[in-house]
Amino acid sequence: MFFKIAVRNIFAYGKRSIITVVLLACTTALLVFATAYMDGSHARLIQSSVEIYPGYLQITQRDFRDNPSLENLIFEAGQVSASLRDFPGIAVFAARFESYVLFSSADKAVGGMLTAIEPEKEMGISRLAASLKQGSYLTSADDARVYLGSELARRLKVGVGDQLAFVGTGADYSFAADNLTVKGIFQTGLFDFDSRASFVAKPYFDRVMAAQNYATHFIVQPVRPEEAETLAAAIGARLGPDYEAAAWQQTMAGLVQAMRVDSIFGYITLAIIFIVIFFVVMIYTLLVIYARVREIGILRAVGTTPGQVLAMLLLESVLLGLVSVLLGGVIGGSLAYYFHIHPIVFSGFEEQFKQYGLALTAMPTDFAPLVIMRDMAIMFVLSVSATLYPICKVNNFRPIEAIHHV
Amino acid sequence: MFRTSCRIAWASLARRASRSVLVVVMISMSLWGLLFMEGIYDGMTEQMIGNAIRSDSGQLSLFAAGFREDPGLHRLISRDGDITELLANDPRVKSHVSRLRQEGLAATAHYSRNVMIYGIDLAAEKSHGRLDGYLIEGEYGFGAKNKGVLVGARLAEKLKVKIGRKLIVSAQNSAHEVAAVALTISGIVRTNNMALDESAVFIAMDKARELFATPEGVSQISVIVQAEKDIPAVQQSLRQHFGTLQILRWDELYPALMQGRVMMKGFNLIMSVLIFGVAGLGIFGVMLVSVLERLREFGIMLAIGTSFAQVRGIIFTESFILGFTGFVAGSLSGGATLLYFYQQGLDLTIFSHGLEEFGMDVITHAVIRAQYFITAFIAVMLATFVSVLFPLHLLKKANPVEAINRV
Amino acid sequence: MNLTTQSKRARAASFFMMTRAFFLCCLCLLPTSLPAADDAREIIKKVEERLNGKTAVLKISMIITTSRATRTMKMDSYSVGNEKSFIKITYPGKDYGITFLKIDDAMWQYVPRIEKIIKIPASMMLQSWMGTDFTNDDLVRESSISRDYEARITTENVDSYEIELLPRPEAAVVWGRLVMEVAQKELLPKSVRYFDEEGLLVRTLQYTEVKQLGDRLYPSRWVMIPHDPEKAGNRTIIEITEAAFDVPIAEEYFSKRALQRFSD
Repeated sequence: MFFKIAVRNIFAYGKRSIITVVLLACTTALLVFATAYMDGSHARLIQSSVEIYPGYLQITQRDFRDNPSLENLIFEAGQVSASLRDFPGIAVFAARFESYVLFSSADKAVGGMLTAIEPEKEMGISRLAASLKQGSYLTSADDARVYLGSELARRLKVGVGDQLAFVGTGADYSFAADNLTVKGIFQTGLFDFDSRASFVAKPYFDRVMAAQNYATHFIVQPVRPEEAETLAAAIGARLGPDYEAAAWQQTMAGLVQAMRVDSIFGYITLAIIFIVIFFVVMIYTLLVIYARVREIGILRAVGTTPGQVLAMLLLESVLLGLVSVLLGGVIGGSLAYYFHIHPIVFSGFEEQFKQYGLALTAMPTDFAPLVIMRDMAIMFVLSVSATLYPICKVNNFRPIEAIHHV
Repeated sequence: MFRTSCRIAWASLARRASRSVLVVVMISMSLWGLLFMEGIYDGMTEQMIGNAIRSDSGQLSLFAAGFREDPGLHRLISRDGDITELLANDPRVKSHVSRLRQEGLAATAHYSRNVMIYGIDLAAEKSHGRLDGYLIEGEYGFGAKNKGVLVGARLAEKLKVKIGRKLIVSAQNSAHEVAAVALTISGIVRTNNMALDESAVFIAMDKARELFATPEGVSQISVIVQAEKDIPAVQQSLRQHFGTLQILRWDELYPALMQGRVMMKGFNLIMSVLIFGVAGLGIFGVMLVSVLERLREFGIMLAIGTSFAQVRGIIFTESFILGFTGFVAGSLSGGATLLYFYQQGLDLTIFSHGLEEFGMDVITHAVIRAQYFITAFIAVMLATFVSVLFPLHLLKKANPVEAINRV
Repeated sequence: MNLTTQSKRARAASFFMMTRAFFLCCLCLLPTSLPAADDAREIIKKVEERLNGKTAVLKISMIITTSRATRTMKMDSYSVGNEKSFIKITYPGKDYGITFLKIDDAMWQYVPRIEKIIKIPASMMLQSWMGTDFTNDDLVRESSISRDYEARITTENVDSYEIELLPRPEAAVVWGRLVMEVAQKELLPKSVRYFDEEGLLVRTLQYTEVKQLGDRLYPSRWVMIPHDPEKAGNRTIIEITEAAFDVPIAEEYFSKRALQRFSD
């Protein structure tokens, strides 16, 4: 009965209904999309900085993160490997050995990182292979062949196929030195990384650096990167107190917080828009309800109770709210989905991203149905509460007063 | 006649008081929000840019040819005397400082770290970039014998040093020998220019000349001009005189910051359009209803000989009163809020790690610009004007006699 | 990236600990001094003279103990004062023939495996020494006790003096205070304790096993013990197995060509 009347009223006051629905739907779409964009871009920023090299989950010897010395290596890489094998939730894992060396080409000597990787596994973890610029990526069988950062190559004045030597310290503190051939040159876009990093296959490194069965850390690619923290805890429990398993949230805490700050400001911005929308909806409701004061007065005069009137008016705004929110949710959701598939490209802002250690320009939105529902619920509550004041106000009229209301 | 219009407009607004109040509140709230946002966001951007300019680049920086690619004591500006004379005589230039810098090592009994050693003139840096304002501990000075050193905040943390502690600073000098000097930490600075906070040690220019064995020449001359618009012209004239040097604007040295500013401008514009668009819709609704309600009233007025222009005047006045009141209320509240955050600053200490990641200050001071209020005024006026066009159109189409006969 | 930057320094440190540790014996502690004015200075001066010759040819074993392992290295060293030194590694076999040359502040290294002479950049010579038993102050800079410190005898025991050394205000040394124990009879150091500015003991260097080496009585075993809690258990022991002081050394050792020539 109320439902019927409410629906009839919505159609009777078509213009108000349309404007309200359009407004609310647009706002809902905006909220849904803005959230999807914020979450998506943050996830992308984090993903890109995590995936270029650091990885979602690092396993180190307990003291290594505080004091990264040769005393605090993982000395039982085989054992760690065995523990990680078949561990649920791990997509792929690989050992690395980071070492600082002095590179020397013709007559240039430059300090840099020489890191041992497991090339094939690394492809499933970091973007090193994908960052190839010239030559080719490494394989496990590569002996004395190096995969060099573009800036480092430029500083050493070497190209693919050229020779360079390195001098460093082996894992047993012995002198390590060898001649390397440049197999490939990579460019991640991060200046600092490209001007310092170089990679060799781990079997070769282990031999020249006396690092058999050693690693500075393991990198784990979780099946579900968003659950890296849980996985880290589980791995930590399995490996025991001699090791530390840290998810990216821990290893890159600053970045995580930076994203949070950005979100907060994003929501403040949205909140300001919502305040305005809230008032507009309230104004429109007020306008329409005042136009109906006489009608309501008559209803009351013929015996409808204030409660029934209230219920009827509320039902109207609930219905309108529902329709708008659904419409907006669908629009915003489809936009979020579209830009999830076809990321937004920011050309010309590479520098800014790079400064934050991010080499990317394309930002996909995040398509998360649960978040969309949450946003829709927020908008629904907002839209209904905006109508409360006008509804209560009109319901306070006495019937006779209402009938005579101009 | 105008006064009559005003009185009629006022009377009709007063008759629907709650509605009018709501519209005014809505306009002022949107304005408040917009002003707050613009002021804070611009404050953040400008603060980051300001930090880079004050602590390092100035608005223009001069380096010897090839210095940025391959910095060192072998690439110094040798004609610094001529340059500073030219700068001192240029009325567009507000201030300039010379710095000498070299990579080196800072050591205590427990730790040592690679650092960038800056030879600076404290008094000049103070009037140039208010370097003293970045001091978070200790005092802004090098002591009587120039034996003091100012250390970047993060560097101090990593070396675990306190004020008054000894710091041994060593560097390779111009004769390729390693020279060292014992200094006492007189102050700790936090510029939020990450490179400086992490690795800078500031020592007296004379001390640096002694340590580096460079009796003359400087690494960098940083220039701040009177007005931002003069930057390209000053850069141009410097380039004419000293063509061999690298003469770069701050945005060439910190391109990311310029992009940040452009992004923020674009963002603010979008937000303004969005907010005033929605607010305009609110005004539109109210004006539409108020015209439609009074079709009969206006019909009578037109019938008794009031001109349409006068009726239009009444409607415009009504709309203007709403918009203007909203503007005044919003400007006052928004302005007051900004003033508060301009003076007190917005304290985001709890997010200090994240802010540092962006190179931002923990406390953001809002910016207040006349332009915010001017833009907002124009936007409000535009919204009030546009929102009555359609109601007026309806009124014009409606036949007055018909209108009178309507219930 | 955090991991990368952190470990960078550690790696750098360990690498340069190796290179610089070789110079330790030649230029570490007590080079020639100014004439002493009082007793303490006189003693220090004599100690310096005894410990350093004008030139020195040494055979050295270095035993480095960390919480993980102990390793030994052997080398031949030729030095003229502080200015020039040439070092060749003789043990372990893997590293045999690696040579170093230091002339004033320039340093070169030759590695037979890559047949290459590498000039070690100054920025690297200044690299930190995190996690090792020596600081750069020992090696890169030519710290001299009689030049940099004011000496004062604090205690005179039956057979030794205890001398407190306070850095002169202008001396570029990191220490707050040194305490040196000197044997009265031989006028040789027994130990040096290094304190920071707050009076905390940072490390101790012990000179033991005095015996006849070349023309003089000489402490043949030096032990460096760091006291930082993170370095608990670490030791660096230097044993001088053969020595000749104040003998002429052929100038050809101190040229870049020598690096390769004397490598075999």
